[in-house]
Amino acid sequence: MHRFANPARFLRIARVCTPLLTLSGLVLAAVGLWIGLFASPPDYQQGDSVRIMYVHVPAAWLASGGYLGLAISSGVALVWRHPLAGIAARAIAPVGALFTAICLVTGSLWGKPTWGTYWVWDARLTSMLVLLFLYIGYLALASAEDERHGGDVTLERGAAILAIVGVVNLPIIKFSVEWWNTLHQGPSITLTKSTIDPAMLLPLLTSLAGFSLLFGGIVLMRMRAALARQMVEARGRRLAEAYA
Amino acid sequence: MTHAEFIYPSYALTIAGMVGVLAWSWLAMRRAEAAAAKAKRR
Amino acid sequence: MSRLKPKHQRLVLLCAALVALGGASTLALTALGDKATYFYAPSDVFAHAPEPGTAIRLGGLVERGSVAKQPDGLTIAFRVTDNAREVPVRYTGIVPDLFREGQGVITEGRFGPGGVFMADTVLAKHDEKYMPPEVAGSLHKVGRVG
Repeated sequence: MHRFANPARFLRIARVCTPLLTLSGLVLAAVGLWIGLFASPPDYQQGDSVRIMYVHVPAAWLASGGYLGLAISSGVALVWRHPLAGIAARAIAPVGALFTAICLVTGSLWGKPTWGTYWVWDARLTSMLVLLFLYIGYLALASAEDERHGGDVTLERGAAILAIVGVVNLPIIKFSVEWWNTLHQGPSITLTKSTIDPAMLLPLLTSLAGFSLLFGGIVLMRMRAALARQMVEARGRRLAEAYA
Repeated sequence: MTHAEFIYPSYALTIAGMVGVLAWSWLAMRRAEAAAAKAKRR
Repeated sequence: MSRLKPKHQRLVLLCAALVALGGASTLALTALGDKATYFYAPSDVFAHAPEPGTAIRLGGLVERGSVAKQPDGLTIAFRVTDNAREVPVRYTGIVPDLFREGQGVITEGRFGPGGVFMADTVLAKHDEKYMPPEVAGSLHKVGRVG
C-alpha cells in the first residue's frame, strides 16, 4: 500500500506547487528577459550580442541541471523501484532535451557575431552536443521500454542505466574549458566571484531563477499527467478483471 | 541594436520553446486529470 | 552479501558501478590528454614544433602594437603571444569584429618559411569578462584592464 500512499502525498503537494512555480517563474523570466533585451547595457567588446547570454546561460544551466535530475531519478528508480522516480525521470527528459537544443542554437547565434563562426568542434561545444544525444538516447530507450512493459516504469532498466552512465559527461562539460584549450571562454561565475558587471548579472540571475522555476512547474505538470494516466489504466485493468 | 539579426532569433526560439513545452505539458495534465476524475466517478 | 536485502544489494551494485565508471572515465580522459585541445599556445608550439606543412590551430593574445596592414590592403600581419613566447602570423581576409590588439584569437593554418604562421582562418576568442563600455573605459583609465 505504501506504493500508493506516496504518490497521493506527492499529488497533494504538487497541486499546490505547480501554479506557484509556474506563475512566479513566468513573472521572473519575463522581467529578466525584458531587462536583458531593453534595459541593460551593451558589452564593451561584444556590443549588444551579450544579450544572448540571458537566454543561453539559463538554457545551458537547465540542460545540465536537468540531466543531473534525470540521472538521480534513474538511480533511485533502479535501487528503490520507487514509481515516482521513474515518472520524474520521464518528465524531466524531454524538457532537458529541449533546453539543450536551445542552448546549442543560441550559443551558435552568439558565436557567429562574437567568434566569427557558428560552430567549432572544441571540447565544450562537442560535450554539449553529446549531452543532447544522451537525452535523445534516453527518450528512445525509455519509450521502447514503456511499450514493452505496458507503461510500468518500475520495470525499466536500460534507459535508467544509460542516464546514469551519461552522468560522466556533466563534469566534462563543466571543466572542459579548464582542462583543455577551447574557443569557449572560461566560467564567469564561480562560487566566490563573478566577472560579470552587476548591471548584466541582474537580468542574468533573474532569468536564471525564472527559467528554473518554470522548469520545476513543467516537470510537476508532466508528473501529474503521468500519474493520472496510470490511475486510469489501473482502474481499467481492475474493471476488466472484475468482469472477466 | 547591433547584431539584432542574431539576438531576436535567440529570444524568439527560447520563448517559443518555453511557451510551447509549457502549453503542451499543461494541456496534457488537464486532459489526463480530467480523464482520471471521470474514471473515479464511474 | 546474501543477507543484504535486494534493495541494498542494488544500492551497493550502483555505487560500485559509479566508482568503476568514474575510474574508467578518468583513465580515458588522461589517455585523451591534450588530443582534445582545440588550439596550441605559442609556448606549446616552441616546446613541440609541429611538422612543417601540417595544419594546426594557434591561439593566444594579439600582441599590442603588432598588427600591421600589408600594402595589398587585405593581408594583415600580427604576433600571437601567450605572454611567454610569440609567433608571427599572416592572414589574408576579413577578421571578426572582436579581433583587436590585446584580445584573444585562434588562428588555423600552417607554418611557412621563416617560422611565419600562415593562417587560413582567424576566430576571435572572447574572455569571461562582461561589462558596459563606461565601466571598461573607467577601468582603462585607472589601469586595471589591459
